[in-house]
Amino acid sequence: MSQFEDKHLDFVLRHYEKGRFDTQQAVRRFNDAHPVEHRPHKGWWLGISGMAAAVLIGLFLFMHREERRWTELTAEATSKTAVLPDGTQVTLSRGSTLSFKAEDPREVKMTGKVFFDVARDEADPFEIHAVGAYVRVLGTEFQVDGSIPESGISVYVAEGKVLFSKSSRSEGVILTEGMEARLAEGAQIPVVEEDADVNSIAWQRGTFIFNETPLKEVLDCLSVYYYVSFAATDLDRKLSGEFHTDNLDLIIELIESALDVTIVKK
Amino acid sequence: MNAVWKDSLEELFRYNYRPLCLYALHYLKDADLVEDVVQECFATLWEKLQTGAAVANRRAYLYMTVRNRCLDHLRRKGIPTEQLKPYDTYGIIDDDDAQERSQTEARLWTAIDSLPEKCREVFLMSKRDGMKYGEIAEELGISENTVRNQISKALKALKDGAIKIYMFFFG
Repeated sequence: MSQFEDKHLDFVLRHYEKGRFDTQQAVRRFNDAHPVEHRPHKGWWLGISGMAAAVLIGLFLFMHREERRWTELTAEATSKTAVLPDGTQVTLSRGSTLSFKAEDPREVKMTGKVFFDVARDEADPFEIHAVGAYVRVLGTEFQVDGSIPESGISVYVAEGKVLFSKSSRSEGVILTEGMEARLAEGAQIPVVEEDADVNSIAWQRGTFIFNETPLKEVLDCLSVYYYVSFAATDLDRKLSGEFHTDNLDLIIELIESALDVTIVKK
Repeated sequence: MNAVWKDSLEELFRYNYRPLCLYALHYLKDADLVEDVVQECFATLWEKLQTGAAVANRRAYLYMTVRNRCLDHLRRKGIPTEQLKPYDTYGIIDDDDAQERSQTEARLWTAIDSLPEKCREVFLMSKRDGMKYGEIAEELGISENTVRNQISKALKALKDGAIKIYMFFFG
């Protein structure tokens, strides 16, 4: 097709409104209207928030490659979201994999970094296996990150309740909303971190959240995320707010005007 | 039952949302209603995929459900739809052509969206509102020559856009 025809343009012009039929907005509207549904539930932790979010950093999960019944999901170039047969939603970060059995999707194995939004089922806890890491939840939303093996494994919980231990038989820690724990290489029990980082799951949530955060920490956070170094005029200024992760230059601009500082990429 | 990639649905959205809206707009002429209809059709597809049903051609499925819903809306308003076929200024066209037409229109829409603001304003005043160059120049306080330049710039961008944007998703 080398050209459009006037009749096409006439129709478009008759109805044209700037910003109408916006695809991004439509996708957001769709995602808001169609979150993954959780099964109805009852139980001792009913009073607790319905979901949990956790980040598990640092180890590759154990893969029984000799077993054939495992279905493996892989996210290659970009992060991807899938829904398992039990309704659990998983978001795989770049380069991550997740394996499950179609007949029993409540027990999975993974590598890399994965965010889980687990369909709740008290009778059948959701289990994640790793080399040296085990996470069990009854129904929850959380992320497992095994992309930096040297730094051990850490679990960050945004909402709900998660059991985190070295293996299914060893002693573990129970993490609730806003808590983070790390299992260092060679350690037997995870240690609860004093400063949980709400931005551990920024990639999945799509936003950075800062609350009276010193600019130095803000820039550290951005530089880990975007692999860029920064210099700024006043590192002690404090920043509060929520920023979309999809546009670094816009974030920089917003911070510069909010704090009246100059930030340069190095 | 297998896991369903939600991303694949989002990709389908990115490539087809705007064309589907324009396709539906030929039937319903109501932009708000059209956006609701297209959302509902994506939801129907998503629910179907989640139950494990196979949908061989998801795009064709979307066009089909959008058309059926549009016809439902017209029927509800008492408009007879038995004879209702896609048509253009030269007469009835078949549904494949109607789908292709919506893709072209979506590309034009995207190209207009992408025009520099001043250029878009001048272009819309001329081509949509039917204002003369002199009237536009006076209203905006610019020269007629600038008006003429902006409009030819817009037309060129649209012609290029109609080709280039072909390969990409819409906005």
